[in-house]
Amino acid sequence: MPQSQPPVVPVDTVMAELQDRVRNRLRAELLQHGASRALEDPEVFAEVERVLREAASRTSVRALLLPEFLGDPAGWRLEPALTYPSHRGAMAATMIRGVKQRLLMPALRWLFEYSHDNFVRQQRVNHALFACVQELAIQNAELRRELGRRADR
Amino acid sequence: MKLACVIHRYGPDIAGGSEAHCRQLAERLAARHDVTVLTTRARDYVTWANAYPEGRSRVNGVDIIRFPVRRQRRLKAFADLSDEVFETRSSPERQEAWFRENGPDVPLLLEHLRAHGDDYDLVLFWSYRYYTSYFGLPLVADRAVLLPTAEEDPAIGLDVLEPYFGKPAGYLFLTPEEGELVSRRAGRRLEPAAVIGAGLDPAPPRPDRSAVDALGIAQPFLLYVGRIDRNKGCHTLFEYFLEHLDEGGIDTTLVLAGPAKIPVPAHPRIRALGFVDDAVRDALLAHARALVVPSPYESLSIALLEGWNHAVPALVNGDCRVLEGQVQRANGGLYYRSAKEFSEALTWLLSHEPQARTLGLQGLAYVEREYRWEVVMDRVERLLAEVRTRRS
Repeated sequence: MPQSQPPVVPVDTVMAELQDRVRNRLRAELLQHGASRALEDPEVFAEVERVLREAASRTSVRALLLPEFLGDPAGWRLEPALTYPSHRGAMAATMIRGVKQRLLMPALRWLFEYSHDNFVRQQRVNHALFACVQELAIQNAELRRELGRRADR
Repeated sequence: MKLACVIHRYGPDIAGGSEAHCRQLAERLAARHDVTVLTTRARDYVTWANAYPEGRSRVNGVDIIRFPVRRQRRLKAFADLSDEVFETRSSPERQEAWFRENGPDVPLLLEHLRAHGDDYDLVLFWSYRYYTSYFGLPLVADRAVLLPTAEEDPAIGLDVLEPYFGKPAGYLFLTPEEGELVSRRAGRRLEPAAVIGAGLDPAPPRPDRSAVDALGIAQPFLLYVGRIDRNKGCHTLFEYFLEHLDEGGIDTTLVLAGPAKIPVPAHPRIRALGFVDDAVRDALLAHARALVVPSPYESLSIALLEGWNHAVPALVNGDCRVLEGQVQRANGGLYYRSAKEFSEALTWLLSHEPQARTLGLQGLAYVEREYRWEVVMDRVERLLAEVRTRRS
């Protein structure tokens, strides 16, 4: 979809100015609250922001490597969905499940929904942290490879 | 050509985006082609309960065949299955089960495609996520044209979509970002394809302020149009807007025009009008300082295009690639990814009135260039002709 003529007000230029202002304000606030002095360098800050933003945008569990090494998912994965397991025989289990579903669950729905929302949020944060670790590991591997190349020269 | 349009719900009283898109396109295609809509008896998109009468009817030159929904959506089972398939590496069988639970479950529509699919030159499918498209398209893949209406939501990551997206004979996308997303999931460039968007008629002449004044809305105001819903990012919009005011940002009012599905904060600077008629909606659009589109998931925002149709600049959620891409291509507004960016961009729009107005006019020029009906229908007709030629 080509642009027919140059814009009088280019969005990219305005956005670059706005984002720069926000970045500087954010950096000042972080430093004021005791963040690492390394962030005093605007270029370092911009690079850190880029890495974290990129990681935060790739949090699909199918794009993450770390879960592969955490072992049995039952041991670490949050289960937001509510299930009604029972160790009893088929008849008793059906009755107890019915009581849980039809009597207890409606009464406790508010608590379930509150917990469910929080589990989902926690899961999102976990995946974001997995993605950050993955991004840093990738960068570390790339730097090591570059160092190796330089050492070979 | 004899064309079939497959859609999960159909009717002039249905407000959904893909449903309206299908109806508008079907009615325009009917001027040149023999068009039959294959759909369900459902009106409600949550339960899929049968509501319309079964069988054949004809509306605005389009033949409609409605098939009964076998069972309503089981909300708890669907929610649990969604958690399972989106948050774990689930099997293809469980992912297919998700499409079944999502519904609407209309086996007779599939039967019709099996028995009569060859009677149509081409079969157009809207929205990959529904049972009708997911299970219907493979039955007539050699003549199928898919309008995926794909968004960057969890469903697009399902593994079973990789082979599915490779099946159609042609593709109609709403934006270039949607085309890239679906191609990425298919693992290859998808052809033949066209980016068509949605058609718009020119806005009516700019109304005066009387309808806005009658509501007691002071200038300048920021406008949101559409369903007030969590899925539309409205909860985040409220949070960012209130933070903007709390931190001493330029005073303005957030006006919401649409039915509320979540609680709206009680605040003197937030006005929820509920459903408004077309005249009020046009007046609001004509006099808003900016239109805000906070949705994280969009394959195309009609509200955004309507705003530009009224020369209103946009303020959109930059985490949604489609919205950011639309704003950049149109040079028609600003975008944000955080509360601070929201406040900074809103402040700019409020304090740079002439430039903000220019952004709105640039948006209007973009709509004139890309989204008038003759432009859209020309792209659709060319793609359909190409698919048919390739088939023969």
